[in-house]
Amino acid sequence: MTIRNAIRDHGQRYRPRMACLKKAEKVLLEMQDPKTGVKSQPQRLVITTIPHAISGEDIIAWLADRFQIDSQEARNLGSMLVALGYIYPLQDHKRLVIKPDASLYRFQTPYFWPTQQWPVEDTDYAIYLAKRNIRKKGILELHEQEQYNRLHKWMNHKWDFIVMQAKEQYRAAKERKKPDRVVFDCQERAYWVVHRPPPGTVSAMDYGLERRIDPNADEVTGESLHMIFTQQSIMRPRVKSSVSIGALVKYCATYNSHDPFLSKCLPSNPWLTDDVTYWTLNMPNVEIPTKMRVERWTFSFRELLSDPRGRDDFRLFLKKEFSGENLAFWEGCEDLKWGTAATMREKAEHIYKTFLARGAPRWINIDGKTMEITVKGLKHPHRYVLEAAQTHIYMLMKKDSFGRYMKSPVFKDTLKKAIAPEEHKFTDAQLEQNAKNRRPSLSPIILRQQELEQKAKMAASAPVDITQVMSKLSKQGKEVAPRPPSKN
Amino acid sequence: MPLVNNKVGDDCTVGTDKALADGKALVDSLIKVVACYRHLASCVGSCTDSLQLRDELRQTREKAQNLAVSICQHLTSHLRDKSLPEEQRKEMELLWVAFSSGLELLHVDMCKVFSMGDIFSLANSASLVQTGLQGGGSEVAARALSLPDLNQARAPEAGLESQERSTMEQEISQIDHMIDDMEMKVNVLRWMVEPHGPQYADPLSSTDSASLALLSVDEEQPGHQPQSQHSHMVVFVVLFAVVLVATTLSVCVVFFS
Repeated sequence: MTIRNAIRDHGQRYRPRMACLKKAEKVLLEMQDPKTGVKSQPQRLVITTIPHAISGEDIIAWLADRFQIDSQEARNLGSMLVALGYIYPLQDHKRLVIKPDASLYRFQTPYFWPTQQWPVEDTDYAIYLAKRNIRKKGILELHEQEQYNRLHKWMNHKWDFIVMQAKEQYRAAKERKKPDRVVFDCQERAYWVVHRPPPGTVSAMDYGLERRIDPNADEVTGESLHMIFTQQSIMRPRVKSSVSIGALVKYCATYNSHDPFLSKCLPSNPWLTDDVTYWTLNMPNVEIPTKMRVERWTFSFRELLSDPRGRDDFRLFLKKEFSGENLAFWEGCEDLKWGTAATMREKAEHIYKTFLARGAPRWINIDGKTMEITVKGLKHPHRYVLEAAQTHIYMLMKKDSFGRYMKSPVFKDTLKKAIAPEEHKFTDAQLEQNAKNRRPSLSPIILRQQELEQKAKMAASAPVDITQVMSKLSKQGKEVAPRPPSKN
Repeated sequence: MPLVNNKVGDDCTVGTDKALADGKALVDSLIKVVACYRHLASCVGSCTDSLQLRDELRQTREKAQNLAVSICQHLTSHLRDKSLPEEQRKEMELLWVAFSSGLELLHVDMCKVFSMGDIFSLANSASLVQTGLQGGGSEVAARALSLPDLNQARAPEAGLESQERSTMEQEISQIDHMIDDMEMKVNVLRWMVEPHGPQYADPLSSTDSASLALLSVDEEQPGHQPQSQHSHMVVFVVLFAVVLVATTLSVCVVFFS
């Protein structure tokens, strides 16, 4: 039987599992063992002595001995235990660290140990603050005061209850013997220092984002799940490790000289020297690319297409070969995949009319089966409706046009014109000067505007469609009325 | 509000006034018992954990549950009564909010005690954490239990631990169901409930300066610790000496004159 949370979490947010808590608890139980644990001494206060106080140096020595670690690490471990709330300092209670001297600490009672199951409730915090206020008015610190006011606002309906409960807890505490009362007050105070840390301190109980599934809930296991799991592992495609490792080695060898961490970045790495020549030379729409960039295009077709300058070059080549419709279709499909959902329908229709319909102005050559699937899918267009056709065209370009591009005069020309910048050699004084001259780069808004202008310009000067070219060349009238140049 | 004779109306309000007072008394005692239960629960797993403490916990818990059941019936029946006048309804709703908050606190404490009882079994006394507590919670339990209704302080019975645990599980789920039931049956809009009390509770007594002093003494550097008290004592000694000298002088004057 699982003991549920008292407060029904209807938002169904669960705190993530803090595995360190269980481990810390084990360590703590060992530490507090009267025989084999940390040596305890009585704490002498004015009227009374309270037993079971431990000194910081004893804790560190014990931890170092138990885990066979050096004293700095033992100190870190001890501080972690204090920060989590398992041990609390008796002097200087707001700083949750272990001091390697005779300063005293005490073990926290299990009721106040941090748990993952039960959240730390604001109601309890409000009761605690009210109690402190009852004992002595005006003792609350500024941040506690602010918290108190905030809780009063948000838990206003419970406020009578909170005040009454605070009074009752206070009265019940008075029934206890004085040293026990002091101990309980210290315990409670330490608990709230851990769970409601004063501003400016870092809490060890910060656990990041909350989860959507309850980590305490029993996992659903069953035979059907096990079957599905094993079936899927059988169906997974496999590759020999020699092949996969070979691919990795090839990748590393190819990209080694292009990696700014592993080899020099020409002319100089802007992050190191504060000189932005590298970035200006490698802008997306630069006229003359660098040699490294052009070399990268030769690695694979994907590299060529993903680099905007490379794509421009490829487009130029295809224009000269009068097979630009493939690339245009591919770009249109990319646009559809990554574009906004609102424009999807028009885009799909436009692409169909321009590239796929019978007698379209920029008709692409795909096989019958793919065409059939695509046309059927276009009845109910979605983002990936043109995926099959796009892949086909991509493969076509890769196998056919890419090879020819590599051998073409366009590419050779670009390669010849490509610049190989000299490496900068900055002196320290120059580096300082560079650092002083740092300026922010162009705003993304401006960059986007530039991109859009570029696109509009390209669309305006779109390549002539094949029918117009044919009609011009053959000087024959065509039955199909010449369509206006298609826009990309 | 239904058409009602003045006389009958008076009776009604008198009746509900009494019901309100009853309810308030019950809720107050529940809050007291919950507070005591929390104090007792904080001792579980510490070096003062013992059969007696567990037994006291059990008794306090039973008391709290009986109170809870009676308050639940009382409030539910009154809040479902549609002919309740408006101010009475407001008061009832306040009580209801206090009751449900108290019940939630009790539920959390019971769950914690249950799981801690799991981890810290009394058989293995070396694993009980040395927290510096010396006394048990007997006085607190006495406060919780010594109310007009129940007054038998039973001696701790050596019951089987497993039986205890299963009863506890049942009681926890019972409280769970009670909370759920309440939410289902009575619809109290929490944002409409306005409390009476002030934001800051008045200090109960100023005679608790001793333990305050102990705590603040705790704060200072260990070197200074005895010094402040010493300085007080020095002042007292000096005053005493001055008084003594004055009396001796006056006695001498009397003798020699």
